[in-house]
Amino acid sequence: MTTLTATKVVQAVHAPAEITDAADELRRRAANDEMTPNEVMTVFEAWAMSLQAKELDEVPGIVFLRMWLRRGTLEPIINRELGEESLNGGWTEYGRARCKAFPLGVVGHWPAGNIEIQPILSMTCALLGGNAALVRIPRGLFDLTRMLMEKLERAESGERLARRIFMAAFEHGRLDLHEAMARAVDGAMIWGGKESVLQVRSLPFPHWAKLAVFGPRISVAAMDAGAWSDPEQQKTWCQRLARDVWQFDQQACSSPQVLYLERSPGRATTQFLSSLQRAFEAENQAHPRQTIPAALTSAIARARAAWLLGDPSRHAVFPMGPDWTLLVGAGSELPEPVQGKTLAVLEVDNLMDAVAKFDGNVQTLGLGMANAEREKDLALLAGQRGVDRIVKLGRMHTFTPPWDGVDLIRPMVRIVRHVSSAD
Amino acid sequence: MEELSAKIDRLLSLPPYSQPPDEREFGLLELLKEELEYGCQRHVGYANYIRQWPVDFHSARRVSELPFLPVGILKANPPLSFVGPHEIKRTLTSSATTSQSPSRVALDAATSRRMTKGVVAIVRDHIGPSRRPYLVVDTSDFMRRADSLGARSAAIQGLQPFATQATYCLLSDEKGELTLDRQKLQEFAENHRDAEVLIYGFTFILWNHLVKPLMAENVCLNLPNVRILHSGGWKRLQDQAVEKAVFNDQLARLFGCSPHCIIDFYGMVESVGVIFPDCQEGNKHGPSFGDVIVRDPLTLEPVAAGEHGIVQVCSVLPTSFPGNLLLTEDLAQVIAYDGCACGRRGIGFRFAGRVPKAELRGCGNLETKRTATN
Repeated sequence: MTTLTATKVVQAVHAPAEITDAADELRRRAANDEMTPNEVMTVFEAWAMSLQAKELDEVPGIVFLRMWLRRGTLEPIINRELGEESLNGGWTEYGRARCKAFPLGVVGHWPAGNIEIQPILSMTCALLGGNAALVRIPRGLFDLTRMLMEKLERAESGERLARRIFMAAFEHGRLDLHEAMARAVDGAMIWGGKESVLQVRSLPFPHWAKLAVFGPRISVAAMDAGAWSDPEQQKTWCQRLARDVWQFDQQACSSPQVLYLERSPGRATTQFLSSLQRAFEAENQAHPRQTIPAALTSAIARARAAWLLGDPSRHAVFPMGPDWTLLVGAGSELPEPVQGKTLAVLEVDNLMDAVAKFDGNVQTLGLGMANAEREKDLALLAGQRGVDRIVKLGRMHTFTPPWDGVDLIRPMVRIVRHVSSAD
Repeated sequence: MEELSAKIDRLLSLPPYSQPPDEREFGLLELLKEELEYGCQRHVGYANYIRQWPVDFHSARRVSELPFLPVGILKANPPLSFVGPHEIKRTLTSSATTSQSPSRVALDAATSRRMTKGVVAIVRDHIGPSRRPYLVVDTSDFMRRADSLGARSAAIQGLQPFATQATYCLLSDEKGELTLDRQKLQEFAENHRDAEVLIYGFTFILWNHLVKPLMAENVCLNLPNVRILHSGGWKRLQDQAVEKAVFNDQLARLFGCSPHCIIDFYGMVESVGVIFPDCQEGNKHGPSFGDVIVRDPLTLEPVAAGEHGIVQVCSVLPTSFPGNLLLTEDLAQVIAYDGCACGRRGIGFRFAGRVPKAELRGCGNLETKRTATN
């Protein structure tokens, strides 16, 4: 029997039985000690405060995580997804019926390995629904997740929440452990690349398990001429875009890979591109890479060369190192993403032409638009072409449901409907 | 072009490893700048790339500041070329086993001639100038095409200037499966027992098709005056966990020679004429007409001695394609920037494997268009 204590939330797992036992214990604890969203949020508030620690300042996404855990962020989400009376576990009236959210039980989480805070984010969605959480921690996130969880354990006096979390660290290739985890859960949140998502989705989940799958996507930025040519706003727009590119080393599904700039007669993009270059340089100075896989360096070098060799009319701006790259050209085709802070900047005659070519793979469209009416048209077309999030530049990673077109808490609860027999 | 060729030939005529590093760098830098200028005049896309390099190459003070091309860019088909199709005498292709699409390198007559001279100058420095019987641990089947040459055949052919006669001791069936021609091997060994002989094979072919079958039978070929050269890398032997020391020991035992007679060299078809054999200290060195820069993946600056990084090969030899400054997909450790005990001047480095395959990571790892199947 695996011992679940508050100080051993993150554990290296070696045998399927350890996972099965942990899940049984989590299920028992969650059933014996129901927590309302309000109670969960009280712990989250304390946790958010403890995450202010200086040693965590360099954790990618930590600022966002602190914000996410605040009551002011979560309360409206819970109200919208679970109903206005759900905060304290009440029933919400819907005409002649009333509804209440109940937890699924144990929710398994398979986060992507490239987003440092994703194990935590995914887990919080299930916890807010009253569930217990069984989280598989990718190898590269083991130490970081442990640091974040230790803050929770210290912030929470009664350990009610920490006792319903089990974080299992095991190798990606341990199919037996993945299978044990799948068999043990009542729901799952699955994040990551195509291969990972397909593998996890094919695991032997119980027939009743609800799965929320957040697969691979890319994201795109777009600006109309009124926005990019506005001398007063230009610098701010460029800073926002640089922040969106920098977070998660441009590896997140919400990271912009391309920026479309709508042409306007008599207005050249030269000044905007200079401003964008300065914003990238400043962001790089503020948040330099600490390490890089050699493969990514090679890919960046290849992308630069292929871009410029392939078409003499194209331009590029980049430093000697692989820190960042702007590949400048024209056309509405979506280029292959490179990642590693490599942004293709493409001039188009009409943004609608570019958006019309999206094929369902684009998750987020980050916009900088001076023309509000055109933005509405663009948003409508983007929605029709499969885009799930249309947000302002600078907020492309803001983790607010719906995400990938679905809610984040509601999929991991059962909404029970009660119609009075007296009616 | 004639002036450029003369300058290249002058570097080729120097002893390959005798120049002090600064002197060598100065010579290479000036010539490579001229070659960059020449390339820009011959290829508009290349000119675009060079023009937009963050530092104007004319003002570069070190070879490491010059614009380099990632080697993967040479996978283009038709190949990137500085000469017209009628001037291409031969196209070299890299091994298709290490990448899905091979590199294609267009050689004109001048580059082809320099390639041969470069290899000869380097190998001569390691094994001496004499011609000797040449045993090729491979099949002769793929040597027949004159217009196209793969990595194996290029390496085999590159050593021909050291051969009095060549003997191929492997046979291939209709499926391309290789088998050892024992009779031919035995005859070669008996005919040249006390003579100096040269042997070449790809590393994994030597192991799988010569060492393994014969060591199982405890065979010794009794060729103590052999020089065995091999190349092609260790990737295909990784799953068999064959260490270099074990490889050398077993091979030496098979031929009845010292392990010091075995020379592993690093080469790639894209870096025509410049190969990097191990010296007796186990290090590789750059010749007078080329060099190696090992770059930190984080900054792309040259690493300090002792550190690992991505290999860039430099060569003044090619003028028919942009192969002068190539960032490879290999890793190496710099042992020292000068002063190897073998006496060869300049950088001493050791190959440290391939850069792992580049893959987009995480939930943004989309690399294909959406189709009905995904």
